[in-house]
Amino acid sequence: MNAALLEVRGLKVGFPTPDGLVRASDTVDLELYHREILGLIGETGSGKTVLGMAILRLLQPNTVIEGEIRYRGRDLLSLPEDEMRKVRGREIGVVLQNSGTSLNPVYTVGDQIAEAATLHQGLKGSEARHRAVELLDAVRIPDPAVMAREYPHRFSGGMRERALIAMALACSPSLLIADEPTKGLDAVTKREIIDLFAEVNRDRSVLFITHDIEAAATLATRVAVMYAGEIVEIGAAGEVLSDPAHPYTRGLLASLPERGMRPIPGSAPSLITPPPGCRFSPRCATKDCKSEHPGLVEVGPGHYARCMLYDRG
Amino acid sequence: MAKRTVLAASIGIILAYCAVALLAPVIAPYDPHAITGAPLCPPDPEHLLGTNDLAQDIFSRLIWGTRATLLLGFIGAAVTVVIGTAVGIVSGYYGGMVDEAVMRLIDVAMTIPIFPLLLILTTFFRPGIYITAVLMGLLGSFQGVRVIRSQVLSLAVADFVTGTKALGAGDGYIMARHILPNVLPLAGVKFVISAQHFMLIGIGLGFLGIGDPSVVDWGQMINRASQNGAMILGLWWWLIPPGLAVTLISLALAWLGYACEDEINPRLRLMRV
Repeated sequence: MNAALLEVRGLKVGFPTPDGLVRASDTVDLELYHREILGLIGETGSGKTVLGMAILRLLQPNTVIEGEIRYRGRDLLSLPEDEMRKVRGREIGVVLQNSGTSLNPVYTVGDQIAEAATLHQGLKGSEARHRAVELLDAVRIPDPAVMAREYPHRFSGGMRERALIAMALACSPSLLIADEPTKGLDAVTKREIIDLFAEVNRDRSVLFITHDIEAAATLATRVAVMYAGEIVEIGAAGEVLSDPAHPYTRGLLASLPERGMRPIPGSAPSLITPPPGCRFSPRCATKDCKSEHPGLVEVGPGHYARCMLYDRG
Repeated sequence: MAKRTVLAASIGIILAYCAVALLAPVIAPYDPHAITGAPLCPPDPEHLLGTNDLAQDIFSRLIWGTRATLLLGFIGAAVTVVIGTAVGIVSGYYGGMVDEAVMRLIDVAMTIPIFPLLLILTTFFRPGIYITAVLMGLLGSFQGVRVIRSQVLSLAVADFVTGTKALGAGDGYIMARHILPNVLPLAGVKFVISAQHFMLIGIGLGFLGIGDPSVVDWGQMINRASQNGAMILGLWWWLIPPGLAVTLISLALAWLGYACEDEINPRLRLMRV
């Protein structure tokens, strides 16, 4: 494959708290190639959102971040803030979680959609309004010229999600980070949003953060599974989701309603003092690995898993 | 509905006062400083509220006095709201050391009672209505900073603010375009409540004899009336009108302030039910 658009190397993100450092992301490595959708899946608190926010450097200033995040070869973590601002919105767009509160209630949707274009391309007044309508139309909001003049509270959940996608696309970024865009949507709307992402993906790469495995399976080229701040399995979507190598991924799939709804026993470990050895070992039915911390091992072409079943030193 | 009536009445009263202040030269029959006849005349068609000990027309003075009181209240409130909003937004948005420094400074400043401090400060300056208004506005802004800041604290971490950052917006842009409009209703209420407060303080200063001697104000009128025995001699037309005028505008502003507060804080509405 050609050079990666985004390369994350040894990324560690920690939040200082009175009880100690919460290691929300621990030595994450991943690449995102041109025009690919990488599905990042994992349960709540596994560090998916933190990873997305770290790429855009939108975490609280006291966050401890180590490692490298290379976008088109430039290390985003060492970029000065004003350079970083030019990357946000223009090079990398983001659709945040919680579409319900991600629009400012005091402005009409149209006033906000073209904001990135106003910020980066100096679009003003009627030009910006025109752009906003175009963008709303592109994400299939019916009657975009009318809806652009409405306030966010008049939009339904699905429409807000679309509006946020339109907003993120205003400057045609090469990379779109979408954080749980299908959360809280009904099946039909979810389907439509997934289709929209497939369309959006034609011109750009997407980091699709979700705990909706079905959505990831439909959309993603490759899938990365996160557990307790680590990537435990990564590979082609079809392979990872049909023939998972890691016990956690297997457990995750077995917990889906259509596959028997058998939850993984136990709960996610503390990120302040993670279990010694394999982080999944306290919940793992396959193997008890309290002494050794496995590395990511290639289990098939481009398919890696972090498990002692495969890591033989 | 009773609440609507109160709101309409208070807005009506405030607008009427503003009209009187603006049209003072037209409405007032005499120059407020001119000697217009015999001193201490009771009300008659010539002098609607009689004359004072200097034979000045009390009605004309009452009309002109509206200007001083409104100017003092509104300029003071404007200063308070502008400073309170600006400092409150910056402090709440950046948080951290900036916020800590500002808040501790204000904690100290707020322990000093505003009225006695004003009494002392005004003696250092040439007594002037604008200076007094600005001083009041400055001293009153501390509380405004706290009110606005507390709202900004939650806005600064709102999803739409993070979203705007993610679009590549700078701090100045976010504060001006996304945070300011969200605190404007609160700033509006603060304006009304401060205006009422400052008008009363202004009357108090006038009554204590440290008002601007070059303008007519109700505080000085009340002072002069009570100093010259209006109370003992039963000259009600000298003492009562400025007092009533103050009470009415002060009530109107308070009503308006409460009504607006109810409107922006649904919890208060529930409590009153």
